[in-house]
Amino acid sequence: MATQTREDISSQLLTFIRESFLAGDPEGELDADTPLLELGILNSLNTAILVAHLGEDYGVHVPLIDVTATTFKSVRTLSELVHESLSRK
Amino acid sequence: MDFDLSPQQQQRVDHMRAGAGKLPATEPDGIAGKDSWLAAAELGMTGLCLPTEHGGGGLGALDTALCLEAFCAGGADTGLAFGIAAHLLACGTVLADHAGEPVRAELLQGLASGTVVAANAMTEDDAGSDLSRLTTTAVADGDSYVLNGRKSFVSNAPLADVFITYAATAPSAGYLGMSAFAVPRTLPGLQVGSLLAKMGLNGCAAAQVEFTDCKVPGRYLLGPENQGNSVFQRSMTWERACLPAIYLGAMEGQLAQCVDHARSRKQFGRSIGNFQAISHRLATMKLRLETSRLLLYRACWYLDQGRPAVEAAALAKTAVAEAAVANALDAVQVFGARGCLAADGIGQQLQNAIPLNIFSGTTEMQREVVAKSMGL
Ligand SMILES: Cc1cc2nc3c(=O)[nH]c(=O)nc-3n(C[C@H](O)[C@H](O)[C@H](O)COP(=O)(O)OP(=O)(O)OC[C@H]3O[C@@H](n4cnc5c(N)ncnc54)[C@H](O)[C@@H]3O)c2cc1C
Repeated sequence: MATQTREDISSQLLTFIRESFLAGDPEGELDADTPLLELGILNSLNTAILVAHLGEDYGVHVPLIDVTATTFKSVRTLSELVHESLSRK
Repeated sequence: MDFDLSPQQQQRVDHMRAGAGKLPATEPDGIAGKDSWLAAAELGMTGLCLPTEHGGGGLGALDTALCLEAFCAGGADTGLAFGIAAHLLACGTVLADHAGEPVRAELLQGLASGTVVAANAMTEDDAGSDLSRLTTTAVADGDSYVLNGRKSFVSNAPLADVFITYAATAPSAGYLGMSAFAVPRTLPGLQVGSLLAKMGLNGCAAAQVEFTDCKVPGRYLLGPENQGNSVFQRSMTWERACLPAIYLGAMEGQLAQCVDHARSRKQFGRSIGNFQAISHRLATMKLRLETSRLLLYRACWYLDQGRPAVEAAALAKTAVAEAAVANALDAVQVFGARGCLAADGIGQQLQNAIPLNIFSGTTEMQREVVAKSMGL
């Protein structure tokens, strides 16, 4: 786990979001900079699912107070958050 | 674990129950007006969980729920109780936790005394279960915010003096970019629409609320800018845990009505309660009432302990909502044709129960919360 790069995490998160929230993203529209909150890809429900996923698959537990428009802006900012938490472990 | 009320709780509950029976009579299923609110305020109902320093009762979630339950068990109109509960739980808790002085003191004093009625305005035509794209916006302008947008279903609106509302302050941040505001009714640019005709809870009038270039002074911002979602979620946890208690009280009254009827109504030479089809139905009604009551008390207790209560509140609301509808259907059946006539109000109980599966987050959304908390 600790050896995962930002890029690894980013591509895993892209896959997760595509499959969980975008019906597989058939048009291939999602990338690391897609504004997840602005487009409503992350609503309250999906965010809860994502937070649970980060806890289970990465052991990264994001407290409610850290679920913000900055950290959950895009897959890039999320990967940053996960990568940082993992490297602090 | 102790399932008994303390002497103090018992006294409070007895007081509410007795007082509820003496409220001014309203038209059956008519809208409760200011006089009903003020009579309920005399009992302490409009300030239950609000801080004592502003005239409230200073009660926790469990004691608040016990009072709401007793109010309805004592015969208070479910619609009036719903309006008061929304005023307290979706509005009062938010003001107590997030309003800055002097707004906090000013408004809470009024809410507690019942002279200020509060309404919660979140839902929009295109934002019901999914609050990620509110179209109501609030744009900073000097030390004010200018609000524009329409809220589609606001309980208490026709009577309300202040609205707790939510608007996008950072639209690019979706549901994490909304802020909470208290908006006094008197501000120019706030318009309350005409009365919405509903299937039930008629004691609580509802309307749409529209903001048109409504300039709201910055002191009415509740909590930090863009933190509206967490402000709202917290108020909904209170509402989901406590508000369904009004239905526990209503179910208790309904069950007593059904038992009386089953004992007194005779067909085929005996009381219909002698038929197992009826007596077991009543036993099942009691089972639903008691099990959902325990879940509700537990959710409130979690809140009071400062423990995570989101899942417990979702379970409680779902259990009470489904119990209330199932029991109301059974009550109609037990009463036969009288259940279908308006005079006894049995059918109205069903119409009052159904909305509990919709407001404060639908039953489907509560199941989602429970499923998520199991890691699904
Ligand atoms: C009596 C009453 C009083 C109310 N008072 C207020 C008030 O004071 N203030 C206020 O702001 N609002 C109020 N509301 C509005 C209420 O909060 C909304 O109706 C509620 O949140 C549901 O939104 P909706 O009606 O748009 O339904 P929708 O969100 O359109 O849902 C329609 C159906 O789809 C289901 N559904 C939606 N998304 C999902 C999903 N992801 N998974 C599974 N099922 C889903 C729902 O459960 C529901 O069955 C009130 C409503 C009622 C009935």
